[in-house]
Amino acid sequence: MSVATALGRSAPPDGPGAPGRRAPTARHGHRRLLVPGVLYLVALFVVPVAMLLATSLYAPVPGGELGEFVPALRWQNYTEALAQFWPQLLRSFAFAAVATIATLLVGYPMAYVIAVRARGRPALQGLLVVLVVAPFFTSFILRTVAWKQILADQGVVVGALRWLHVLAPDGRLSATPTAVVIGLTYSFLPFMVLPLFASLERLDPRLLEAGRDLYASPVRTFRTVTLPLSLPGVVAGTLLTFIPAVGDYVNSSLLGNNTTTVMVGQVIDARFFRVLDYPTAAVLSVVLMVSILVLVTGYVRRAGTEELV
Amino acid sequence: MVGATDAVDAPARAVHGAALEIRSVTKAFGTFVAVDDLTLVVPSGGFFALLGPSGCGKTTTLRMVAGLERPSAGTVSLAGRDVTDVPAHRRAVNTVFQSYALFPHLDVLENVAFGLRRRGARDVRARALEALDLVELAHLAGRSPAQLSGGQQQRVALARAVVNRPALLLLDEPLGALDLKLRRQMQLELKRIQAEVGITFVHVTHDQEEAMTMADTVAVMNHGRIEQLGAPADLYEHPRTAFVANFLGQSNLVRGTVVEHVDGGTTLGVDVAGTRVLVPAARSVASGPQVLVGVRPEKIRLQAADAGDGDAADNVLTGTVVDTSFTGVSTQYQVEVDGVGTFGVFAQNVGAGAVHAPGSRVRLAWAPTFTFALDGHEEVVAGTVGLDDVP
Repeated sequence: MSVATALGRSAPPDGPGAPGRRAPTARHGHRRLLVPGVLYLVALFVVPVAMLLATSLYAPVPGGELGEFVPALRWQNYTEALAQFWPQLLRSFAFAAVATIATLLVGYPMAYVIAVRARGRPALQGLLVVLVVAPFFTSFILRTVAWKQILADQGVVVGALRWLHVLAPDGRLSATPTAVVIGLTYSFLPFMVLPLFASLERLDPRLLEAGRDLYASPVRTFRTVTLPLSLPGVVAGTLLTFIPAVGDYVNSSLLGNNTTTVMVGQVIDARFFRVLDYPTAAVLSVVLMVSILVLVTGYVRRAGTEELV
Repeated sequence: MVGATDAVDAPARAVHGAALEIRSVTKAFGTFVAVDDLTLVVPSGGFFALLGPSGCGKTTTLRMVAGLERPSAGTVSLAGRDVTDVPAHRRAVNTVFQSYALFPHLDVLENVAFGLRRRGARDVRARALEALDLVELAHLAGRSPAQLSGGQQQRVALARAVVNRPALLLLDEPLGALDLKLRRQMQLELKRIQAEVGITFVHVTHDQEEAMTMADTVAVMNHGRIEQLGAPADLYEHPRTAFVANFLGQSNLVRGTVVEHVDGGTTLGVDVAGTRVLVPAARSVASGPQVLVGVRPEKIRLQAADAGDGDAADNVLTGTVVDTSFTGVSTQYQVEVDGVGTFGVFAQNVGAGAVHAPGSRVRLAWAPTFTFALDGHEEVVAGTVGLDDVP
């Protein structure tokens, strides 16, 4: 939830976060407080990223064994990896985008009901929030496998969809891109619902009355008041869903078909642990990281920096 | 948007008669009856105040007029048209909310333009700026509401409502959050704006001074019912219930028994603890011989008990000064009247007249025409403000 707040409010340039210029002793005292955090970041983020970047440029040892590489600056690693795996990269972003939109469409009404409709009934609100989170107390793998059963060819869902002619008589869901996107949507739903809930909870119901008083129908009040005021939650929720969804490989492995559903996470996993092609795995990780960074920066610039409540 | 425009009542035309009629309206929340069989007619074009203590049902009444609550029974009519079942966004009524409820994601101009845009009005920008001009805030049109002071937000809320030229403008304790000085200033401002735009204002307040300063007509409300309705001076001089007598200004109320009719029945002689007090019969609303005799504190003159006789026609009681407080304009005395109770007396500091120290014996004298009589079944303390009641 702190993410929602951090994204929703851009701190003023000379806010409390900026160092105090007139109190040098206090400033030094504050600096010392940063030491554990900085050490943690250096040890567990800066060093690994440096190692990752280095590995991405390693070269195979000529005539060496499988998985034997030497430090080098082999830039072709990038062109080769991208040439081979661009479809999986693109697919990852496409699947994650569709899943994010789906979680938003499913999650917004849920968050709205919990925050606005159940307002003033804290017991009910608490229960509903627990219901959103509770399934996630069971194993991630187990739940994904469960979806495999739910979407199976002989399952009730596929049966019903065939009967309704949504699916062709021989149509199926299991091992399809749809199944992977459904799995992703389900997996990241709480990451969408919780920030949206936090943001809608803060919505002043008197503003909705003001909207109605000023000739806005309930639908227009939603569009012109509720939705804009819940944007910080939408931004936080979509980021918390999209970023992990792009790199996910469990859903595509368990619910996919290993050909038309392979996502980049799955490729990295295979390159690293099975093919022992460390440089390619590192290249794909770097590309994934940089692309997410660029996309997210652009997105937050567009949506997140307006003065929102 | 054209459809939406048609759905809303045409803005304030010169409607003759009542702007608002509330007929036998009851609103219950569970077992709590907030508004109890209320009937109220607000004339068109004026400044109307609904005055009452916290929890008397005045805000609920306002919300039913705005369409934000549904009456449990009864009807609400605007300019002669029954709107009981019309949703809030289709009523030609706008509200200035107590909390202002400005939209934080819109700037000042867009806040004011909100209602116009929803109705698909033309020249939205120009009209919004004009409304901001009316409240002298046109120069802050580009600000966000969070950057404004409380008084400025209040003006924006007013402009946002007035700009729509509603048939009726509702103000729900709009000055409640402002400090005293700003509140006085805004009272005059609101009065000016009402006169300028000619929209019927219905102002809800618990501040009797505010109601009397601003409104042409005041309805005093208590326990979900209207106690009395009239012009401020009329309510003050002719209270018909102990609640009104005590809630609007202060009153000295004492129990008495009507013992005779004098001057051909135009005057009542009332026995108050052995002393005869005269009350004009026209100023009595009592139905039986048991009455509450009342007189306002500023109508009483204090004289030293041993001074020469005053006007023989006056009502006179004697007592002992127990407390004095000097307020600048006047001196307020608390006088323990023999066998009756404590009287409040306000003496103007006009330089004349002696100052009576606590402990001195005094005579309280006032003209019979200032005396009123209420029904003897009423509580003497109804409508007095206890410390717990201060909102």
